[in-house]
Amino acid sequence: MDSTRETGGPATARIAGRGRHREPCAVRCYCATRYTEPVFTIDVDVLVTIPNGEELNPLRGIHEYCEKKGYHAEGATIRVGEWPVQFIPVFSALTQDALENAETVEFEGVPIRVVRAGYLAVIALSTGRSKDHQRILSLLESGNTSRSELCALAEHYGLAATWEKFAKRFLNE
Amino acid sequence: MSEIQTLLERQARWQKERAQLPWPEKIRMIERVRADFEKWIAAVRKGSPGNQDGSPAIPDSSKSNP
Repeated sequence: MDSTRETGGPATARIAGRGRHREPCAVRCYCATRYTEPVFTIDVDVLVTIPNGEELNPLRGIHEYCEKKGYHAEGATIRVGEWPVQFIPVFSALTQDALENAETVEFEGVPIRVVRAGYLAVIALSTGRSKDHQRILSLLESGNTSRSELCALAEHYGLAATWEKFAKRFLNE
Repeated sequence: MSEIQTLLERQARWQKERAQLPWPEKIRMIERVRADFEKWIAAVRKGSPGNQDGSPAIPDSSKSNP
């Protein structure tokens, strides 16, 4: 693939899958597109674990690694080929489990870890913007997750009331 | 059934079918839209006349759908 036209997924897998930050995975819109129809997005979000959570700048290692490889910072993101990539340290039990339970898929021959549809939907539920609601509905429609799975996950992560409210508003048929 | 109704139903079917495309193909579709979007942003930032009420044609923050 032309290096100037590389897509965010494989490129990100290459830079983030090394060094101290093992097992990163794509999340949010870029990742959701795997399951749903294409949805416009500006950047790629990548969940990472930070070995030493007490660092003042937890992403310093990733940024230094990227800089060495010629991927430069652009504000809060790193430009990788065509895509700004935002690395997001796991920030809750939900995102930690989403990362740990991510699956590995091939993206144009490059293995990349992606958050499973159920976790994506519950992360969207926790964020709660209107576009997150749309994402949950799209993921359900795709058949890659189900109401019962989302209900169980929501309950597990303390989002039962939020899920009930969502279901009442959007899923009452 | 009106012609418009048929058109809308066809469009809905097409949109749903796009979900079945391979992931890389969907990403390439997004990239094509992004390329146009970025050109538009650059053009607007270069010399936008803005809206008629004097506000910028686009907000500073171009981030969408993270």
